[in-house]
Amino acid sequence: MIILALEIIVLVKQVPDSQEVVIDPVTMNLNRSLTRNVTNRADENALEAALQIKDKVDAHVTVISMGPPQAETTMIECLARGADRAILASDRFFGGADTYPTGLTLAATIKTFGKFDIIFAGEETSDSSTGHVGPGVAEFLDIDQITYASKVDFKDGYITAERELEDGTEVVRVPTPVLITVLLNSNVPRRQTLRRKIDAMKQGFESWDHEKVGLQPEWVGVRGSPTIVRKMRPIKERERAAKKVDLAGIPDLVKELYQKGAIKLESE
Amino acid sequence: MSEFDVIVVGAGPAGSSAAIKMASQGLNVLLVERGDPVGSKNVSGGILWGNDLAAIIPDWEKSAPLERYVERKVTSFLTGDSEIAIDFKTKKFQEKKTGYSVLRTRLDSFLARKASQSGAMVITGVTVDALAMKDGRVVGIINEGETITADCVILAEGANPRVAMAAGLVGKPNDRTVGIGVKHVYKLGENVINERFNLRGNAGFAGEYVLSFLEGGVYAGGFLYTNKDTVSMGVVINMETLRKNGNTHSFDIMEKFAQHPFISGLVEGGQLQEYSAHFVYEGGYEDMPRAYGNGYMLVGDTAGFSFSNGMILQGMNYAISSGILAGEAAIEAKKDNDFSAESLSRYQKKLDNSPAVLDKKNFQGINNVVWSPMVHRAIPALLESSLYSMLYETGNPKKHLSQIMMKSLKSSGMNSKDLMLQGYRLMRRM
Repeated sequence: MIILALEIIVLVKQVPDSQEVVIDPVTMNLNRSLTRNVTNRADENALEAALQIKDKVDAHVTVISMGPPQAETTMIECLARGADRAILASDRFFGGADTYPTGLTLAATIKTFGKFDIIFAGEETSDSSTGHVGPGVAEFLDIDQITYASKVDFKDGYITAERELEDGTEVVRVPTPVLITVLLNSNVPRRQTLRRKIDAMKQGFESWDHEKVGLQPEWVGVRGSPTIVRKMRPIKERERAAKKVDLAGIPDLVKELYQKGAIKLESE
Repeated sequence: MSEFDVIVVGAGPAGSSAAIKMASQGLNVLLVERGDPVGSKNVSGGILWGNDLAAIIPDWEKSAPLERYVERKVTSFLTGDSEIAIDFKTKKFQEKKTGYSVLRTRLDSFLARKASQSGAMVITGVTVDALAMKDGRVVGIINEGETITADCVILAEGANPRVAMAAGLVGKPNDRTVGIGVKHVYKLGENVINERFNLRGNAGFAGEYVLSFLEGGVYAGGFLYTNKDTVSMGVVINMETLRKNGNTHSFDIMEKFAQHPFISGLVEGGQLQEYSAHFVYEGGYEDMPRAYGNGYMLVGDTAGFSFSNGMILQGMNYAISSGILAGEAAIEAKKDNDFSAESLSRYQKKLDNSPAVLDKKNFQGINNVVWSPMVHRAIPALLESSLYSMLYETGNPKKHLSQIMMKSLKSSGMNSKDLMLQGYRLMRRM
């Protein structure tokens, strides 16, 4: 009997570094030219969850992303962390997509890729925070999904995962194939060493266009997106202040805050 | 067989220039930089002097991210109440540019991109731990216990060369060979800058200041450079006097410079965009390490290539030219398939005939003058009191300048013989 290696897919996205995001005050769009691009942090946790399974069993990890050519750095980074293969679905027709055609494109890429057992994705991305894409891909592929996973274990064809819910933790056991969305900071992504980075650069990644993944231009990108953004407005910054007082200064501070209306008496 | 012909450690102007030169001639080059993005760890005042880049990027004046060209150069003494300045403006710089203000995150990213386009493998976000040595020669670099091999390693680590120091290739920095630089970048907008500095178009201002008003015996210089819509403002502090004083902080000095009555108006209302601090290499010719050995070369600040003579403060141009020369040496060494110290001594020969070394040699001992009580205290005081006496209308009969100066000299407490001697030294050194 031939036992094939477990095929694990990890969905990743390159996002603007959330610490540096600048909103153009006129157009209300993200000014992407000023920010540097990084791999979405939760996706790094998804990759780490996949690599931890690969540490234990014979597995093959493939990273798949949809994005413009500059997502190259993210593909190389994932290879340097330990992925075996990286595929970037990149095509001008894919541009301007909302979460629906994004899920469709990723699912089509996975179908073109072939057989798989487990798909990991970050729970949400830091640039749009919808959390749609992972579940969307599971629906397009018609497989089970586990969302909000904080801990993932694989054994004998089953995934056991802890899901963080509002009122507690749920443990689920699901047979493969399955898609799992992983929570931000649920593990510590491994480091990329110089050796691995060099090997990743030498290996390179694959770029697939709409023909390769078998999609019509009108199904994807901006044309395939049902969402219409009507209006954007900025959130007003709240004024903050800090003040250092010694122990004796506390009564005065309380009085000052009371006079400013920042705090109230219980009787009021 | 080595994995790479040459590994370059550090993607500043020196390292990237070397990588561009070598990769464009077909060498198999790895350029490693710990900052990510490239340039994020690098600090300099911000004027790129000269035309050294032309050798590797012929159209650099069009393609590189340059801010403004220097049209107006100010060298100035600041006392508590006054500014005494040489304010040199010339339209000649419009025809033939002498220097451009730059922002390092942009410039260094551009140069690293050029290295990559030339065929070098550029890897960022990785710190090199040490040099790999075998039989007394450098055979590669070590990161997290793994060795990456190369026939030659070029160290372009900057003013704090940890790898070169650990390998004993350069001495430890001391209070005489490094100063501390602090820099702020303020956003003011293009029109405000043009108005305040009396500029038009992409003409720019470069000012360097002696901060003679500082108390407690601390010596420091200030700089103020205009970018497109920001200004770079900073101080370079002499470590010997800072340590002797013991209770002055670098940020206090920065603050005092920014609040000086004739500086504050220039940066007023600016929005702080960046702040940084860095070693500034201050060593002289006598402090320069041997720039080559078995399987390695040193370039840029690591090799001691930054220069100040009190009127000009330069580093990036020497970094670029030393990087290019090291690159040339590596290309020739590759042809001979010989990266021994003897073969790489050709780098030193190239350096010896270049401005990078000749300037250092010709201005030996300049630091003793630049950081002297005469420059930082006596001259500014003397100029201030003389000019004040001369220009202030008392209603009394006027005196000759020489009389005024002698009187000011007496009141300054400086011995006239000392002043003559130091003045002579200054003129000789400058």
